[in-house]
Amino acid sequence: MRKFLLRKDIVFCVALGAKVNSPDAWLDYQEKQMRGDRSRSEMVMTIKTPNWSRTLEILSDVEGKKQALSTIQSPAKDKGIRTLRIDNNMWNYFPKLKRKVAVSSSMLLASWMGSDFTNDDILKASSMAEDYSHKFAKDISGFKVIVNTAKSNSKVMWPRIVTYASKRDCLPRRYSYYDKDGKLRRTLTFSEIKVFNGHKVPTHWVMVPQDDKTKTTVIDYRSIDFAVSFKPNHFSQKNLTGN
Amino acid sequence: MKYLVSAILLSLAPLAVRAGDAELSGNLEGQFRNATNNDEAKKSPLFQDWDNENFFLIYGNVNAKVDLGDSRFEANWFGRHGKSPLYEPEPFSAQGTPRDPYLATSVFTFPQRLVARDIFQLQHVDQRGDQRTESVLNKIYYEWEYAEHRMMVGRMYVNYGLGEIFNPLNPFNQPTGLTAISQVAQGNDGFSLTYFVDDFHTIQFLVLGDKRIEGYDGSINRTLWMHGEYQVTEKFQLDYVLGEDQNRRKAGGQMSYQFEDALVFTQVLYQSASVEDEPSHDLLDALLGYDQQITGIWHVRFEGGYQKTNRFATATNFDRFLPTEYFGALANVLEVHPLLKLSGTLIHDVKSGFSYAVAKATFSATKSTELEAFGFSPISRGDEADNLAQKLVTQDLGVALRAFF
Repeated sequence: MRKFLLRKDIVFCVALGAKVNSPDAWLDYQEKQMRGDRSRSEMVMTIKTPNWSRTLEILSDVEGKKQALSTIQSPAKDKGIRTLRIDNNMWNYFPKLKRKVAVSSSMLLASWMGSDFTNDDILKASSMAEDYSHKFAKDISGFKVIVNTAKSNSKVMWPRIVTYASKRDCLPRRYSYYDKDGKLRRTLTFSEIKVFNGHKVPTHWVMVPQDDKTKTTVIDYRSIDFAVSFKPNHFSQKNLTGN
Repeated sequence: MKYLVSAILLSLAPLAVRAGDAELSGNLEGQFRNATNNDEAKKSPLFQDWDNENFFLIYGNVNAKVDLGDSRFEANWFGRHGKSPLYEPEPFSAQGTPRDPYLATSVFTFPQRLVARDIFQLQHVDQRGDQRTESVLNKIYYEWEYAEHRMMVGRMYVNYGLGEIFNPLNPFNQPTGLTAISQVAQGNDGFSLTYFVDDFHTIQFLVLGDKRIEGYDGSINRTLWMHGEYQVTEKFQLDYVLGEDQNRRKAGGQMSYQFEDALVFTQVLYQSASVEDEPSHDLLDALLGYDQQITGIWHVRFEGGYQKTNRFATATNFDRFLPTEYFGALANVLEVHPLLKLSGTLIHDVKSGFSYAVAKATFSATKSTELEAFGFSPISRGDEADNLAQKLVTQDLGVALRAFF
């Protein structure tokens, strides 16, 4: 089954490259594969430096592009902390103290739990397909290179992201994030592609900040359920504050 | 009565464990601090005649939760043990009057009251010699949901409002932004009904009781309270409160607005004079706050507030921490390393001239332990003599080791 799906995607990918000379189509395909309409994923985040590492286990629910709920499963200190995003509003909930805190939109650029990922990354607040305009750059052997420039009306933290997608399966292998001065600030690489409910997803993500390359944050997806269904009020204040 | 209620609630636990998912969690923290007294505190009328003492504290929570789908049972036990010569002063002052333990211990263990609205007591305090031990069930409730409603009965945490240093809108849980205690919330006895009107509007009704005002053998002092949260627009949220609490009628609100880069919020709470026939006057609290993540590692918060002084209150009432009439506070948090967080807060009382600084360095030693070094120090003592609580503030250096399970 998996082999069949991979072969089907290669055919699609070739067709995409040959007939649809549009970066939008490539990114749309990637988002459909990696985001789907809704998903529940279990992931392990490891923050690494040469001297230490720290691991977090996270359950992440996403529906569409505007609703997300993440829950920390471990370590014990942070267990149960939830973050809800509805449209552009975001709240943190600390169940041990029954405290809900509205999060300022400026917090989207803040580091998530000390990692190299931001709240924006974890809550999938930005959509590459919707918030950026796209154009092809010159191909690099085996990779389609797309330059994504933030639309003037979009509220994203990275003005430019360059994506490198494999021509074999159309999925990204690297994102390079540039700041407003055009300086490369961080690189996210993708590998270990697995199939979940017919969706091909890179399951090993490595984020490296350019100002300190000895430090990395790795996300390993343990499982992704694209066939999950959520209750109507799953992404709600009521569910956020329920235990 | 208190035994009956706790027996009913506790009897639900084994039933719940059989039927649902049970979870046990908690924390344990040990603290040592060295405190140097304020010279002003040694004088009349406070007579806190000590110079430099050590204070040891160990405290922890054990939280049990059983999830039954649409209902749940939850309880939290809080224990605290303090040891210091400050608990055992010389029996008589230089003036020959009997003495209570020194007041600084109340500051070191703020919030001293672990239950804000207390009917059932469910707590035990034992003070012997230079040690004080407290044990309290500060949370024990049953919660269930029906359609868009959530009901809770028992002893519960009530936690809302954006203020971290001063949060007048919520009299049921004191902010601990200026203290060294990090894992504590106050319980409240009674009933709560939360109505989730829609994704943008939530209303909570509280019927609480307190027997501490008239003593546990006296009548129950009632609280009837409504708190609403209304998301007016994507960026603008309005909170409102209305009710009667601690013999006063209270009304107020909070407005918060999300700017592109920052959150701005304000609170106002009006309290009428006592509805009982007792000497009192009305009160007013106000707060203005600003919160911004400057960079990925630097977070800034400003809170400025006003508290109308209660002329009938006891001077050393520690229901609020560090009372200041007109104040401004600036808090910075710098995550210099994923394992190391530095925070510094400066609070200044505009009227009295009193300033106070708090500094903390928190290091994540392992996956489930933290090591913290902290310092508290008055920077300027102030001229005004009427705010005695400010004279009690000591200069402290301490370390804490906390573990989570």
